[in-house]
Amino acid sequence: MVTVDTAERATETRPRRRRGIRQTRGYRVFQVVNAIVLTLVVLVTLYPFVNIVARSMSEEAYIIAGQVNLVPRGFNLDTYRLVMSDSMFWTNYRNTVVYTVAATVISIVMTTCYAYVLSKKHLKGRSALVGIAVFTMFFSGGLIPNYVLVTSLGLKNSVWAIALPNAINVFNLLVMKAFFESLPVELEEAAAVDGLNTYGILLRIVLPLSKAIVATMVLFYAVAFWNSWFAAFLYMDRQELWPVTVYLRNLIAGATGAENVGAIAEANEVQAEATLKAVTIVLTTLPILLVYPFVQRYFVRGIMLGAVKG
Amino acid sequence: MSRRPWRRVATAAAALLAATSIAACSDDPSDAQDLSENRVGAMAEYAAGTQFKATEPLSFSVLYNNHPNYPLKNDWLFWSELTSRTNVTLDPVAVPLSDYNQKRSLLIGAGDAPLLIPKTYPPDVNTFVSSGAILPVSDYLDLMPNLKDKIEKWNLKPEIDTLRQEDGKFYLLPGLHEKPWHDYSLAVRTDIMQELNLEVPKTWDDLYTVLKAMKAKYPDVYPFSDRWSQPNPAGNLLNLLAVSYGLEGAGWNFQHVSWDPEAKKFEYTGATEKYKQMLQYLNKLVAEKLLDPESFTQTDDVARQKLANGKSFVISANAQAVVNDYRPDLARNANAKIAKIPLPVGPAGEINPASRLENGMMISSKARDSKNFVAMMQFVDWLWYSDAGQEFAKWGVEGTTFTKDAAGKHTLAPDVNVIGLNPDAPKHLQKDFGFYNGVFAYGGTPELVQAFFSPEEQEFQQVMNARTPKLPPPPYPLRDEEREQVSLWETPLRDHVYQATLQFILGQRDFAQWDAYLAELKSKNMDAYMETVTKAYDRYQQANG
Repeated sequence: MVTVDTAERATETRPRRRRGIRQTRGYRVFQVVNAIVLTLVVLVTLYPFVNIVARSMSEEAYIIAGQVNLVPRGFNLDTYRLVMSDSMFWTNYRNTVVYTVAATVISIVMTTCYAYVLSKKHLKGRSALVGIAVFTMFFSGGLIPNYVLVTSLGLKNSVWAIALPNAINVFNLLVMKAFFESLPVELEEAAAVDGLNTYGILLRIVLPLSKAIVATMVLFYAVAFWNSWFAAFLYMDRQELWPVTVYLRNLIAGATGAENVGAIAEANEVQAEATLKAVTIVLTTLPILLVYPFVQRYFVRGIMLGAVKG
Repeated sequence: MSRRPWRRVATAAAALLAATSIAACSDDPSDAQDLSENRVGAMAEYAAGTQFKATEPLSFSVLYNNHPNYPLKNDWLFWSELTSRTNVTLDPVAVPLSDYNQKRSLLIGAGDAPLLIPKTYPPDVNTFVSSGAILPVSDYLDLMPNLKDKIEKWNLKPEIDTLRQEDGKFYLLPGLHEKPWHDYSLAVRTDIMQELNLEVPKTWDDLYTVLKAMKAKYPDVYPFSDRWSQPNPAGNLLNLLAVSYGLEGAGWNFQHVSWDPEAKKFEYTGATEKYKQMLQYLNKLVAEKLLDPESFTQTDDVARQKLANGKSFVISANAQAVVNDYRPDLARNANAKIAKIPLPVGPAGEINPASRLENGMMISSKARDSKNFVAMMQFVDWLWYSDAGQEFAKWGVEGTTFTKDAAGKHTLAPDVNVIGLNPDAPKHLQKDFGFYNGVFAYGGTPELVQAFFSPEEQEFQQVMNARTPKLPPPPYPLRDEEREQVSLWETPLRDHVYQATLQFILGQRDFAQWDAYLAELKSKNMDAYMETVTKAYDRYQQANG
């Protein structure tokens, strides 16, 4: 076996090592300082989240008065109820999930294929292929030509309009290519000697070793597609096709009321703007936040350690 | 936010498209008038007051501004009743309200726009005109008897003339008001005024007295702390003052030029003596600590926070802000009362500065080639400009959503709610029926416009309607190359006016330096700017008398 799950071994060996090496005083001081600093970092980064959650459950008046910090004041879930009672909200939420999953799968497949090919130094015309990709990083066709292209390909009002034009993110592509290049050539040579063809090498050797980068890419792509609204806004002409980001963005615009002049909303259903913003943030970030812990275990460095002897 | 670059790209592409499509367009007026090929479905005898009904079922695409408070539904009574009355089905392309303008630019630029493009404000048209993608609707007014009738009856010609482009045509079918409708003013804590025995300020000088009295009683507060300062300082306050001093506008309604009716010429707004006087007024408020200097930079939330916490008593307002923002914000203070006061009067006298033109509709020039073109224009004329169409769009169907008494007074049906008029009613005029929809219902007679206003707001409107409507400035349509040149001068000029405005108000610059400021404006091409405007004005006068 060439692959070894070093992540597991690392957790096994750590306590043993700690027992073996005596900690110096300086090291202990370092640990304490480290703990304090990191705790502060955690608090600082956590505070905005907690604050947003608290705001989302507070009364507008307290938010405007600047009295909401960590605990909701004037606790109520009216805004949640208001947003979630609309069936269009759920339709659009489902769209977001569908678009994100479909677009992420497509992106991962395309990016992996392109990056793997580019990582092969013996490939003829490799630099031209890299050049084509990098070119699109700096020059784009522009909004209207893109729109005309997508429309005349008949992609409008379908998930393909969102998934295909953005399938390959060049930055992600380059990161992935660098990762593949760092894989030891010997592994693939050994696999070839054992009789695997190119696809076998990619699917059975390279990809299992690349869980870390694939997980990272899934996360990058999924977050990007989850948050994106612009493509859907451009190419979707019916509200039942919009993702939830467009829905909520529109909701906030309606509550801000620039277009509303004279139309005074009913007092009993005033969509409290400050609360609404917080609710929006909570509802859109929550699912993607929940994905993080599951993906995180793949972010393990040094996965290649000991795979090759030589 | 990455919205601006997109927009710029869109405009540039639209301009490019213009260059290519202009060759295809014919400027021959006789060609524009031959409509024999385009009469399919149209009524032969259609006049003001006639109920429009297409002679065969027709369908027109329309750009639809989807409002989150009443999201588009296909089963609205509005759609079905519209079809049964007019034989026309509208095919909406839904665009979220949040980014309506951007999508409109994109669709027009890409040549993919629906036939009807509503919710367009007059200045927005300018960017599209040269592209040839928009129909010069003024050529076809004869197809629109109701519109012509209203322009004549309500004396709207001066207003309509401001829409004209360099070719003397206009490209927007505006929403029309019989009376101007002005909404923005200041809101004042009336309980504090009562406590101090103060009258509602009528003029800006009265306001100064009121603020002074408030300051005397509450020395620790800035009695006036304003909002709407993002992205430009004191957007509303500067505009209110500018119109009160007889200028065209400032702040968020920044107008480079103002018309001086006495001298019969245009002048550069930021360089006028009137502008100086209004800055001196604001400078006095700031210097005596009556106006919070942070008013010019703070966000709306901070301004509302100060008002909510009793750190200020006066703030910019419209009817909606009073009801939706300030009253809920102040709800925890049982004594606090706040109300919008009539626009304070300045040296320009008792005027109503609101325009009688509303946002309106552009029509794609593709429509001209349709065999149903005439029917479409008649349909637009009926729905947006006839009394019956306006009543239908706003009130709905008699007997279902409203009733009418012998005197013609409308009453909402008891089981229908809108704006909290029947709070317990099971159905909603906008959400469940699709009427009183911003895409279809705006403008009209004061009775129609103010139908759903609260008594408080109707009172405000009564005061404002008693004032003289402000005449619009004469038109000075620019040629394409002039507009391009002028827009290059505009940004530096505007930035400098903003900067100096703040410096003068906040006392960082002495008014003794006013002449130096004027010289700076000159060095930024103010004179050339005015020359271009004056030339365009003279040209228009010569051509159109």
